[in-house]
Amino acid sequence: MAEHVILFTGPMGAGKTTAIESLSEIEVVRTEANNSERHIADKPTTTVALDYGEILIGAEEKVRLYGIPGQKRFDFMWAILKKRAKGMILLVNSDAPDPIEEMLSFIEEFRELYDRGGVVIGVSRADVVAGPTLGDYSDALERTNPDMVIPVFTVDPRNRDQMENVLLALIANIEMRAMFGMMTTEAV
Amino acid sequence: MAVEVNQVAGEPASVSMGFPVTVGWTHAAMAVYSVLRLNTPVNLKMHIEMHSPLLIDFRHHAFSWSTPLEIFPVDAVHTGLETEPTSDAAPPLFELPGQDLDGLLWEMGINSFGGAPAYWLPPDERYRLTRWPNLTQHRHTMQQMQMMAVLGNTFVSTSELAKLTGADESDAQRLINALSLMRILTRTSAAPAAVVVAPTAATKRQSLFGRLRKRLGR
Repeated sequence: MAEHVILFTGPMGAGKTTAIESLSEIEVVRTEANNSERHIADKPTTTVALDYGEILIGAEEKVRLYGIPGQKRFDFMWAILKKRAKGMILLVNSDAPDPIEEMLSFIEEFRELYDRGGVVIGVSRADVVAGPTLGDYSDALERTNPDMVIPVFTVDPRNRDQMENVLLALIANIEMRAMFGMMTTEAV
Repeated sequence: MAVEVNQVAGEPASVSMGFPVTVGWTHAAMAVYSVLRLNTPVNLKMHIEMHSPLLIDFRHHAFSWSTPLEIFPVDAVHTGLETEPTSDAAPPLFELPGQDLDGLLWEMGINSFGGAPAYWLPPDERYRLTRWPNLTQHRHTMQQMQMMAVLGNTFVSTSELAKLTGADESDAQRLINALSLMRILTRTSAAPAAVVVAPTAATKRQSLFGRLRKRLGR
C-alpha cells in the first residue's frame, strides 16, 4: 500500500490536534496527558506523543496525518518522523508572544523538509488578535531561504474546507518543486 | 460620458479620474493599479449600480462594502469613481479593521480584462510569485492552486503556465493579472524559457495532488 506521511507541527496550543480531526476520515487516535506548562498554553491537556489520522485514497493508498508534540522535550519524536515525512504543515498561533520567532525555530528543526519545499505555514487565531501580517511571516521566511516561496495562510483548524486547502497546497507545491528539480537535474 | 462625483463637505476635493460608466471590473482595476503606483495616501470610492459604495482605504490595506465577496458581481455597472486625497494622520475612511484589501484585489484581477493581459503587463515577460496569496480566504479553483505552485517555483510566461497545468491561456492570464494587481508577482524578460511538459493522462494519474483532489471531491 502506498503511504504518504504528513506532519503537523508547531507550538503547544496552535491547533494541531484539531486540524487532524478536521481532515481525518477515521476517529483520530489521540494521546494526551496533563499539561505541565500551563504558563505557555492554558489548556488542561496537550499532545504528548502522537495524534494520528488518515485519509484513504482508494483501496491501495492513504495519507497518514501525524500530529507531533510541540514541546522541545519531545524532540526525539521529531527526528523519527521527519525522515518518513513527505511534507509538513506548521501551525503557529498569532496570539503567541513572538509567533514569527516560533515559526523560524520549528523551520530550523525541520530544515530538511523545508529545503525540499515540503512546508506550508498555517497561522491560527489571526482573527482573534492583530498579530504580524502574512507578509511579515513571508518576509521572515525569505530571509532564511531567499530562493523559496513557502505558502503562508491564515487558518481555522476547525474548518475542514480550509484545512483541505492547506493540505492540497502542500502537495501541489511538493510535486511542482520535484518536477522542476527533476528537470534541472536532467538538463545538467 | 458624465462622471458622478459626490464630494464630502469640508473635506479635500475629490478628483474625477474620467471614469466612464462601464460594465465589469477592467476600468476599476486600472484605477486601483494607478492609485497603488502613486504610493501617496489616497482613498477611493466606487459607485456601482444596485450596490452600496465600495470604499478603499489604501493606508490600511482595507476596504468596506456591504456586498459580500462570495457573491462578487462580475458584471457590475460602475457609474462613478472618486479619488480623495488624504494623509497618514487623517482618520480612516471607514471603521477599521474593515476587510482585507487582498480579497477584493483577487476578485477584481480575476474578473477584469476578459482574459487578456492587464494593460500594465508588457509582452514577453516571465513571472514568479514573491509570496502566495492567502488561499483560505479567496475563492479559487484547484487549477489556480496548481498554477500558483508553478509560479512559486520558477519563472514562467503565461503560455508556459497554461501548458504546464493544462489550463486555458485566458485563465492563466486572469490569474497573472490578479497576482500582479495584488503586487505579489515579480517579473522579468531575462528568465530563460521554462521546460514545458504538458500534463498527460498518465502524469495526472501519477499525481497525488490529482488523486487527493478527486478523493476530497474538489
